[in-house]
This record gives sequence, structure tokens and C-alpha cells, in this order.
Amino acid sequence: MTTLAPPRELPALPAAVRGAGARLSRLGATLPFLAPAQLLVLTVIVLPALHIIWLSLSTSTFGKAPVFVGLANYIHVFGDTYFWRALANTIIIVLVVVHVELLLGLGMALLFASGLPARRLLLAAVLAPYAVSEVSAAVIWRFLFDPDAGPVTMALHALGLPGFEWSVDPAHGLAIVALLSIWLHLPFTFLIIYAARLAVPEELYEAARIDGASKLQSFRRVTLPLLMPAILLAALFRYIFVFRLFSEVWLMTQGGPARSTDVVAVYLYLEAFRFNAFGTAAATGWIMVVISMILGAGYLWGLRREMRAHAA
Amino acid sequence: MPPRNPAVVAGKAIAVGVILLWSLFPIGFMLMSSLKPGQEIFAVPPRLVFEPTLQHYGALWEKWAVFFRGLGNSFIVTLGATLLTVIASTMAGFVYSRERGRALEASALFLIVVRLLPPIVLTLPLFTIANMLAINDTHLVLILLYATFFVSLGTLLMRTFIDYIPRELDEAAMVDGASRLTILWRVIRPLSKQGMLALAVFVIVYAWNEFLFAFVFTSTRAKTAPLVISEMLGSFDGVDWGVLFAASSVQLLPILIFVIFMQKHLVAGLTGGAIKG
Repeated sequence: MTTLAPPRELPALPAAVRGAGARLSRLGATLPFLAPAQLLVLTVIVLPALHIIWLSLSTSTFGKAPVFVGLANYIHVFGDTYFWRALANTIIIVLVVVHVELLLGLGMALLFASGLPARRLLLAAVLAPYAVSEVSAAVIWRFLFDPDAGPVTMALHALGLPGFEWSVDPAHGLAIVALLSIWLHLPFTFLIIYAARLAVPEELYEAARIDGASKLQSFRRVTLPLLMPAILLAALFRYIFVFRLFSEVWLMTQGGPARSTDVVAVYLYLEAFRFNAFGTAAATGWIMVVISMILGAGYLWGLRREMRAHAA
Repeated sequence: MPPRNPAVVAGKAIAVGVILLWSLFPIGFMLMSSLKPGQEIFAVPPRLVFEPTLQHYGALWEKWAVFFRGLGNSFIVTLGATLLTVIASTMAGFVYSRERGRALEASALFLIVVRLLPPIVLTLPLFTIANMLAINDTHLVLILLYATFFVSLGTLLMRTFIDYIPRELDEAAMVDGASRLTILWRVIRPLSKQGMLALAVFVIVYAWNEFLFAFVFTSTRAKTAPLVISEMLGSFDGVDWGVLFAASSVQLLPILIFVIFMQKHLVAGLTGGAIKG
């Protein structure tokens, strides 16, 4: 029996190998827990995204085998005035929507933080648009702003103001889309900033007051610097999400009249599913991805810093 | 700091009034119009006092059976996506909270990076793939899509919440010979309910209201309620506003009530989660 007993002392393995072995077994034990999340992302996002690279370098449509065409699709997209119009519209909407949201969100956060009666009830009211679907919101907007009979149009006329001619005038079309988008997403932007404001210790304001700071000074020297990280994060978050805006435009104007209110996502959709040009749609897709990545780099950088701090 | 200056009080009151009008007027207008008889919807100026009627809801029930099937589809898809997201995110969040390492950190970052891909870009290859697998126009395809697009934020959120659970509890269980799975189920699950609820609120609101994926990937069998409403809005023989407002109200009310009741968790999710300031 003694011959079968394992040797009492294993020859010492180099530390690096032992570390690697331990790490490997740890990986084996944790992998099953990561698998569902990582598999979903891999199969639904990563592999299809790689497939788009191939699609963007070939010409194809329903039921036809793709043929390699090099960068022709990209050249086509960059030469298409509709694409540039869509990109310009997208940039305008992103800039307007995000910055108006941040300003209003900041103002509301300060108002709420200054002490309001029935704050919980008011908060519920402010959050209400968060629950409204893009579709329902578009229903309401199309009725309220109807250029002929909409109540808001009538009210504007009664005040001697011009109404929104959003079904004819592209600028008005974009304005109405921006307004809808702001209405839907202000609760989110507000909450991020408000949460950050609540995290500012009251003692800081106490100290500022004792030092004789005015309200404006304590806002500029205490509130704003402490809220800045949250504001920046909210801004980047919203840049990325408004950049891919589709539903609001599709449901309000469908990019019309005459494609004058197209945004990049609508341009992509039309290329793919109306003109069946998968190649140019895929090229547009990669252009969108690259711009999103550039926008997202800032967001990730902020997040990574936080993860580092958290790991320490 | 109670305001003493009457001008400040008045200014605040006006600001609150404007905010309330901005947030609630469109919703209130829709709910009220859905209850107005016939042509009174178009009365100028809109009347606040009227005899409420359920005629539009009746017409919706009679003419738009497809809308109620859409609500059923929305319910199934929302339930499925929420369960899948919460389970996958809690499992992954548990590992990211407890383990350290370069590979892990890279894979966490990877989860976020891929989330930067705009959904519309992915509809293109996914549409072809879903066709090949014959899962277009099924609940499954929407459940998978919705879960995937929330699982990265979900994982970060759960990791943050699980970080608050003391490691000593895991270690005590580990000494008793519990496996990771047992620890997750017996220790982490009961103590991270807050995080799961917060995550569930986000996913439920998203899945219940989502338009783009439903628009591209479903046509008849798995069509969700928002898609049916968009079809009513684009109807060729004129829009029946009364019925449309009724349908929008039916779609909105459950989720609105839900959000109001879950307000606390919504705020907790935003403050404790990955997007905190």
C-alpha cells in the first residue's frame, strides 16, 4: 500500500508556473458565471459587427451573394449629398438636444436641491416622461403640433406667433424632433445631475457661507466643480445616444419632406431596407461606429478611471 | 435653507409650475382626449370639463384586436428580457466584484466598448442571421436583443451593488465548503435584491417601450404594442385620433404607474450604478 501513497513532498514548481496554474483554475471556475453575459454580447453584437466590415466592402442585396468591391461603398456614401445632409442634421440635433438637456437638468437639480415642498410627488411628476414610449410621445406631438388644427399651433397663432410648419419646413421639422427628444430624455439627464448634487456634503455650503461667499460664488466655487464629473458623464452618455437617434425622426417626419430631415440612422435604414443596398448601409454603419467610438472614448476614459479607483 | 424672500418663493413657484406643465401636460392631454366623446377632441380651445366616455376604448377593443395581442407580446418579451438580463448580469457582476485580474478588467471594459455600437448598425447583419435561423418575428429574437443591449450596463450596476456586500460573508461560506454557485444563490442573491430591482426597472421600461428592434424584427406574430400604435399612426385611411389616444393610454398607464411606484429604485440605480458621477 505504501507504494501507492502519493509522495509527501511535491517537487517545488517555479512560482510563476504555480501562479499561472492557480489563475487558470480560477478562470475555469469563474468562466461559467461570465458566459451568459459575454456570449450574448459576442453573438449578438461582436460577430455581426465583424460581418458588417465584410458587407461594407462588398455589394449585396436580398438573396444575392456579396461581391467584393473594395472601398467603393465608402466612396459612394462620402459622395452622397443625402449622407452629408443627414450627418449635418444629426450634429445639429446632438448639439441642441444635449446642451439644452444639460442646462435644464442642472437648473432643475438646483431647484430641487434648494428645498421644495412635496418633493417626492414633484419628483414623480418630473420622471413621468421617462415612462412614455417614443411612439406614444410621437402620437401626442403629432396631434399637439399639427400645423392646421393642433392645440399648440392654435395657441401660438392666438398669441400672434407663427406655428411650427414642421411637415414643410426642414428647420421646423428638426426643431420638433429635438423638442420631442428633450422631453423624453430630460428626466434621465436631470436624475444623473440631481443625484450628484445630493452627494455634495452640506458642510461645504456651510463653510462657504461662513467665509462670506455669496450664493453665486458658492455655486461657481462649490456646486459647479463638484457636479462637473456628473455633467460631463451625462453629456457624453447623451452625445452617444442622441447620435444614433432614429425613432423620434422616423415617427415624426420619416426624414421628410424630400429627405431634408434625415439623420444618419434614418439614412442607414433607408439604404438597407428601402433601397436594399446593404453595402452602402454597412459602410454607413461603420462610419457611425467610428464616430460613436470617438465619442465613447471620453466616456470610457472616465469610467476606467473610476474602475481603477474602485480596484485600488 | 428655507427661502425667506417672497420674490424667491414666487420665482420658485413659477419654475415649479412650468416644470409641471412641461412634464405632465402632454401626458394629461393624451389621457383626457382618450376619454372625450367624438369630435370634442378637436375643440378649440381644448375643454377641461366634458362628459367622459369609454367609446374610444370600446372601438379599440372591437377594431384593433391586434393591439391587444401586441400588448400580450410586449408582456412576454418584457418578462423574458428582464429575467435574462437580471440573471446574466448578476452572475457576471458577482465575478467582477469578487475577482481581480487584468484579463477580467479587460473583459469588463470589452462589455462596455461593444455597447457603443449603435443598434441600428447591427440590424443589418442580424436581420439576415435571424432570417437564416428562422427566428425573425418571434418573441425570442426580441428577448435576446433587449437582454444583450442591457447586459453590459446591467453587469456594471450589479457589480457596484454586490461590492457593498461584505466579502467576509462569502469567505465564511467558503470555509463551510460552499461552492461559488451556492454563495451566489444563498449569500449574494438575497442581499443584492435592491440592485436587481433597480436593473429590472430599467429593462422593463426599455423593453416595454422599445421601437426600433420591434420595427425591424417583427411583422405579425410577435408584433409589440408600440409597433401596433405606430401602424395606427401611419394608417392610410386617416388617423382615428380617439382610438389612437386610447391605445397610447393603455400602453402607457401600466408602465407609468410602475415607474412611479419604483421611483426609489430608479434613483438608486442611477446613483449606485455605473453612471454615477
